[in-house]
Amino acid sequence: MAGKESTLSHYLKSPTLLIIVFVVLGILVARILGMSTLDTLMTIMYFMGIALSLNIIMGFAGYVSFGHAVFLGLGGYAYVLLVYFIKPLADLQNVGLGLGAFVVAVLAGLFAAAVAASVGAAVLRLRGAFFAIATIGLDFTALYLMKAIVPELNPEQFFGAQIILPADKIVEKDIVFNAMFLTLVILLAVNYYIRKSPFGVGLTAIKEDEDAAEVLGVPTTMFKIIAFTLAGFFTGMVGALFSLNGGGVDETLFNLGHSIDMIVMIVIGGLGTVLGPVVGSLIYFELYDLLLVHYPGVNLIILGIIVAIVVLFFPEGLIGLLRKYKVMGMRLRDLLE
Amino acid sequence: MEDILVVENVTKRFGGLVANNKVSFSMKRGEILGLIGPNGAGKTTLFNVITGVYRPDEGRVIFKGEDITGKPPHVITRKGIAKTHQIVKPFNDMTVLENAMVGALFGKRARQITIGEAKEIAYQSLELVGLAEKAEEFAVKLTLRQKKMLELARALSAEPELLLLDEVLAGLNPKEIEEALEIIKKVKEERDLSIIMIEHVMHAVMNIADRIVVLHFGWKIAEGTPEEVANNPEVITAYLGDPRYALRFVKRKGGEGDGSS
Ligand SMILES: Nc1ncnc2c1ncn2[C@@H]1O[C@H](COP(=O)(O)OP(=O)(O)OP(=O)(O)O)[C@@H](O)[C@H]1O
Ligand SMILES: [Mg+2]
Repeated sequence: MAGKESTLSHYLKSPTLLIIVFVVLGILVARILGMSTLDTLMTIMYFMGIALSLNIIMGFAGYVSFGHAVFLGLGGYAYVLLVYFIKPLADLQNVGLGLGAFVVAVLAGLFAAAVAASVGAAVLRLRGAFFAIATIGLDFTALYLMKAIVPELNPEQFFGAQIILPADKIVEKDIVFNAMFLTLVILLAVNYYIRKSPFGVGLTAIKEDEDAAEVLGVPTTMFKIIAFTLAGFFTGMVGALFSLNGGGVDETLFNLGHSIDMIVMIVIGGLGTVLGPVVGSLIYFELYDLLLVHYPGVNLIILGIIVAIVVLFFPEGLIGLLRKYKVMGMRLRDLLE
Repeated sequence: MEDILVVENVTKRFGGLVANNKVSFSMKRGEILGLIGPNGAGKTTLFNVITGVYRPDEGRVIFKGEDITGKPPHVITRKGIAKTHQIVKPFNDMTVLENAMVGALFGKRARQITIGEAKEIAYQSLELVGLAEKAEEFAVKLTLRQKKMLELARALSAEPELLLLDEVLAGLNPKEIEEALEIIKKVKEERDLSIIMIEHVMHAVMNIADRIVVLHFGWKIAEGTPEEVANNPEVITAYLGDPRYALRFVKRKGGEGDGSS
């Protein structure tokens, strides 16, 4: 019966893990051999990072957070303010080839997570469109709070909600790369672990039918809050390192466009799997670039149409679609997680 | 024997409608209790009160000596009560096996079993209800009858002590009803279960139940052995309204296997 096969043979059979390792190594090799510019790699990791973060609440539990950029913004502001005002943290950034910056990003992520955890119980009581709208409200609230608070913190230096980090408080791009890379690896591991754990099974049950899940014993409220908090935490970390990479932060980090980026990547790739957001973000990145080069001006229109076609005709996304088929007697569903 | 479940004076209102009105009964461990009554009598509502889906306006629910009134459903499930839904609620985009695994992972032994063990338990439940060969199908593909059996398998995977069955026999043909009854008797013996069955298929519940509770417009109007209930004039008139139908109902109680209406 199922469950008896050895764990090793199971993992060897799992292309998901192979693909994840391949992607991770690919980024590393491209970096070491200088095949792509640092900026390109940072952008890929950023896209993949936000898609994998949102995946935890949207892909697994089925809660589509339209205001998820709020955590990008909160993480970004938390990071920039931390290193701006706390000298030891600014210095810490340069310690350990990126480990230090990673630690500061964890602090920023914790701030985003704290916000997610404290509003989670309230907004996660809502379902469907109401949840989506509530998160948009959260995003706007945070945006206007930043606009109000940030100028007060340092009236001479901060204009509007924009903060530019002075030269002694930013770090080499290499360091940002390493910190982001580490974050991405952890995100992939967390997604994979969730997918394979009882927690992930519970989240999937919530996505399918929340009331039935609760009656079957799934602690739905707690699971949703944990998933939302994790999603907020990692989005915050990515937002933090993205801001560090850009040398500062402004209110555009709260733009709905970022939320939509995340959602679209997950939808293109396929909900509820680990590979979905990975593949989806790579496709999205390529498309984004390609369209921008070849069809400047109408690139976003074309992208929108492509997304509409995917949602209309392949709502399971690419990985979801592939999972329906068999190859050489093996069901891809067992292989593509 | 100890009382596994005591329902004390439970009242549940929906606005002006009183779905359960001061309902009290108790059951012993190992009993099969039939819960009958016309449509809208409040049977499903009572199940929802017992499992914590609804908090009663008045009254208490005591399970194994512990007051569980108002506890959330997932907590009550872990204490050992499992329920099937009258309106089936399969997790459509999960396989049949995964559906049953949810029951195992979050049931009586939640947090104590691995995914592998959950698979094992789930598979056994599927075998029991005759769904094993469908294990790898998506639940959405099952027929209604199979979805009913999946409800049963999911509930059994939770390894409950008290099983609440809400019309699992509805929609089955006479042969399938007999098979389902055999399954229920078998798991009851094997697992030392206590069962409450809501059922409209009269001869079935009359045959399998040790005792029967009758609800009508939210009130408990009778309680007793199948014979007592079947011969209770108040039940016959109130429950069935139509005395001619009532007569058939009384006769039917002995008529095994005669499932035609
Ligand atoms: N969530 C609800 N909100 C409002 N009214 C409800 C709700 N649930 C049930 N009711 C009402 O309560 C009464 C009892 O319903 P219930 O479903 O418990 O009956 P039942 O005995 O299970 O009937 P059936 O045999 O048709 O399944 C009905 O009048 C029903 O319309
Ligand atoms: Mg009912």
